[in-house]
Amino acid sequence: MATADPAVRTDKVLEEVTGGPQHDAGKESRDSGPAGTAPASGRTTSGRKSRGRTVPGRVQRALFVSPSVLTLLVLAAYPLVFIASAAFTESSLGKPFQEFVGTANVETALASAGIRGSLLLGTGYAFAVALASTLLGVITAVALHRSLHSGPVVRTALLLPMIVPPVVVGILFSFVFSPSGGLLDTLISRFTPASGTYAILSDTTWAIVGVGIADVWEWTPLVVLLVFTALLGQDPEITEAARLDGARGVRLFGHITLPAVAGTIAAAFLIRLILAFKVFDLVYVMTSGGPGSSTLVPAYLIWRTALQSFDVGMAATITLLLAVIVTVVTLPVFLIVRRLRHG
Amino acid sequence: MTSTPPSRTRRLARTRGRSVLALAAVAALTLSACGQGGSGGSGGDAFASDFEGEELNLLMNASHEGAGEWLSEQFKEETGVTVNVTTVPYDEIASQLTLDQQSGANVYDVSAPWYVSLGDLAADGTIQPLTEYVEANDDIDVDDFIPSIWEPYSQVDGETYGLPFDGDIHALFYNTEILERNGFDAPPETWDEYAEQVATITENESSDGVYGAAVFGEQSPMILGASFANRLAGFGGEFLDENGAPVVNSPEAVASLEALEDIWDDALPTPAETDFGAGNSAWFAGKVAFIENWTDLGVRSQDPESGSEVVDNWGVTYLPRAEAGEDPRASLVAGFSWVVTGNTEKTELAQQFIEWAASSQVNADLLTALPPTGIDPNRVSSLEDETYGEEFPELQEVNRSTLDGALAWPTGENATEAAQILTDELAAYLAGQRGTAQETLDGVQQEWESLLGNG
Repeated sequence: MATADPAVRTDKVLEEVTGGPQHDAGKESRDSGPAGTAPASGRTTSGRKSRGRTVPGRVQRALFVSPSVLTLLVLAAYPLVFIASAAFTESSLGKPFQEFVGTANVETALASAGIRGSLLLGTGYAFAVALASTLLGVITAVALHRSLHSGPVVRTALLLPMIVPPVVVGILFSFVFSPSGGLLDTLISRFTPASGTYAILSDTTWAIVGVGIADVWEWTPLVVLLVFTALLGQDPEITEAARLDGARGVRLFGHITLPAVAGTIAAAFLIRLILAFKVFDLVYVMTSGGPGSSTLVPAYLIWRTALQSFDVGMAATITLLLAVIVTVVTLPVFLIVRRLRHG
Repeated sequence: MTSTPPSRTRRLARTRGRSVLALAAVAALTLSACGQGGSGGSGGDAFASDFEGEELNLLMNASHEGAGEWLSEQFKEETGVTVNVTTVPYDEIASQLTLDQQSGANVYDVSAPWYVSLGDLAADGTIQPLTEYVEANDDIDVDDFIPSIWEPYSQVDGETYGLPFDGDIHALFYNTEILERNGFDAPPETWDEYAEQVATITENESSDGVYGAAVFGEQSPMILGASFANRLAGFGGEFLDENGAPVVNSPEAVASLEALEDIWDDALPTPAETDFGAGNSAWFAGKVAFIENWTDLGVRSQDPESGSEVVDNWGVTYLPRAEAGEDPRASLVAGFSWVVTGNTEKTELAQQFIEWAASSQVNADLLTALPPTGIDPNRVSSLEDETYGEEFPELQEVNRSTLDGALAWPTGENATEAAQILTDELAAYLAGQRGTAQETLDGVQQEWESLLGNG
């Protein structure tokens, strides 16, 4: 039976490619003593000589990693510093950082029922949509895996929603839910002529469900793709052995397949959860945050506060609060993913 | 006042008339330019081609794209200056402009944002004051601007920051065929009559896909906010009192919100999803009896090339009032002003351009240009323009309601946020998420007081 450890398999592949056992830099470093420099070549004997030779090496290494560090600084650190600075200052769109206001923005945000409601709505929405996408994605992936003969055309078609731009998805589902001749309205009025008009996106309860359906339709293929790939990576000999032992159907799936891909499913759920927290385009196109505040998810609220109301300080504060919530919510999921993948 | 549109046969004459007018305009501007060139007026003279070969970047509302093209062509022809027009959705002009200036990109020299955003743009230094330029330049002829439009479209705390571009008031358009089918021989005069007619038509014809009214109710200040402002004007209310203090929870405001609620369930499904596109499509397809819209809708309604199926089957009248016989009152729901950006290096040229673009002749030409430009009168002289009066007498009459005092949104700092807060609360109330209309507007009043102050 082939080994199930991907690290071992990777080493074997590298051995084949390089024609010999892989160089274990970590081990060598440990063997070389605290400085971690001498034994690799055995050419340095004195500490002074060693220092003299490693300085250019360090510079070289620093030069090699500097593009990555700079990229990280520009892409991650700068926005983070900007947001944090804006959150603690009075900042408008045209004139950021006008005056330090301490925690006044945070206090205002926490006292605002609208902002609290939006953060709560966003959290509930993210969990609901992530769960729905993961469930549907796993079912679809298993179905696909069992009908591999269905061919690449069907599999590619299933991925189409993910390729469609979110704005187009929003417009598409606005038409589907339109109470004036939309697909849903047409179907309902055809089968129940006297049932009246159904306006999903104008209903304070159903509007968020409508947005969620579009979201699930768009991103479930991502879960399908991840889980399907994991299913393809399963060791067929284990499944075969289980079959020989009499495992079939749900039992085979529950005891053999599911444990094998559980880590991937959890990771897919995590990715989906984070994506759902960021939903903006669909709300922008389908409901503009309404009716009332029914679909006023955090990303939309942040956009509106910064670019419609020009209050960049408050928008940055909401962003920070959202970041805290996302971290708190996703941390347990991270731990579960790690345990499943390494267990 | 009610009337019916001009017939198709007048279109040819209109086109000829426009050509003659355009030639006359060019000649007049050329003569005017020659005169000014000799006088050496302040800020140079664009028409004497002082800036020939230069470029000017203009940011404007996407629905003004036709007007932008027209202005670009005319200005190029008259001055040799190339005007590059960039269009964005109406509610993104202010943020695009601010980001452009704040980031140091400074791409845009001139823009035409919603007049409500002037205060915020001025506070951020995104646009520059024009007080000295306007006061020193008699050619701008400030007194010719419609008084109720001039102040909100140009002034921020006593400084001039803009010149009026698009007047933009709403009027009540009605489909004569639908009214006739339902036994109504005249459009409503009061908001109660309006609700009654809308309910009757919806009850009679909704099974055939025809409704009493398309009500703009999407959650945006320029859409749902406009529908509320129309009623507030009709009921004689104000957003701010004479001292500038918010009065958005007045009895008139409460009556306005209740009047909006009255027709919510009888309107084209569903008002909360009805934006300009959905409402106008239903109107042009002859699927709604009424629509509150900008007066330029009449130009497009009469133009089959715009996809209108209601040519010769529509009329237009003033917005309803609280009581029959009361004087009509206009509501300045979505006007746009010319501004010069804060960091432009072409201030002189930009000023010349907006002076020209806000001139009486250009405004008059834009009113009747085809394809329709979406521009409404901003000056008394262009409102009384002969060609406009001949071609669209009913639109001219409706627009005259701006002469007797119109309702304008607040325009100072934080006015944009104030408009958004009101819109959110209106939407929440109409969606059933709030208590009474009075309670809803009391909440808005409280927030407006903290944002806009107490006058």
